[in-house]
Amino acid sequence: MTSSAVDPQLLARVRRRIFLALFIALAVALHTLEFLLPSPAPWFRLGFANILTLTALFLYGGRAAWVVTLARVGIGSLVVGNLFSPGFLLSLCGGITATALMTSARALGGRHIGPVGVSALGAVGHAAGQLFVAWLVLVRHAGLWQLFPFFLLFALGTGIANGIAADLLLELLRSHSAFRTPVAAENGLESRISP
Amino acid sequence: MALAALLRRMTPLDRLIVLVLLLASAAAFALIGHGPRGTRVVVERQGQVIFSAPLGVDRTVTLNGPLGETQLRIRDGHAGIISSPCAHKVCIGMGQIAQQGELLACVPNDLLVRIEGQEAEEPSHDLISR
Repeated sequence: MTSSAVDPQLLARVRRRIFLALFIALAVALHTLEFLLPSPAPWFRLGFANILTLTALFLYGGRAAWVVTLARVGIGSLVVGNLFSPGFLLSLCGGITATALMTSARALGGRHIGPVGVSALGAVGHAAGQLFVAWLVLVRHAGLWQLFPFFLLFALGTGIANGIAADLLLELLRSHSAFRTPVAAENGLESRISP
Repeated sequence: MALAALLRRMTPLDRLIVLVLLLASAAAFALIGHGPRGTRVVVERQGQVIFSAPLGVDRTVTLNGPLGETQLRIRDGHAGIISSPCAHKVCIGMGQIAQQGELLACVPNDLLVRIEGQEAEEPSHDLISR
């Protein structure tokens, strides 16, 4: 780092903000891309945007995950033009359920739980939350629940795939100098300051 | 190979979670997979009901269509087409139906067999949802 005079805590804060902004931007892009993809049924979505929520969760914790999810749904819906429509409501409630499950899984599981498990939980939560809201506001018909098993299985598959993607992304980011553990980064800084 | 790489990326707790969710979806298939049983057999041609009978009473009926006679059998609460004059016998191959909302169709002979339930069908929504 050339600017060794900068307060490391301030540096970390700024970095965190910038990376969160990047995550949100990527998540919005993926959200929009997915909206453009054809899907067999309105609610079969691949959930790529969740990769970024997962990454934020594992790098920066639960609050960051919430920020990424809510900002992604809000901005993404603005971009595709369905803000406050039923589709937006489905996205929002699915996202909230998924993020609630994922953050609590991370809080409870701690070191024992990896991105794949959290992602699978989140995807299933997303599917369940979405279907529940769909049933609540859109189709008040018990027949909707017959879709649930297919939904669950599909969500499990995409959840595992997204988890692997998030794991790969995390590996890549953690090898980057900006994401080394704080202690290591500080040591590195000190060694450079006092040669 | 791919599976080994996948397992390497998962912690034991991850594997447990995936296993539990897999079992849950299997259970969901078993529990919700089949809907309520129907009570009536209704046969339609071009939107008009040409035959209707309770599903509980065993009988075999002959339905006349443009090609000839199609035989519909109701037995043990299931309805199925047992003979048809059509070329490919797809309708016979569709097997037996018993659940509310299930369909048998013989397109060449212009028949649509439907199972109806106790309560009236709700009006379908014109649903635009994303």
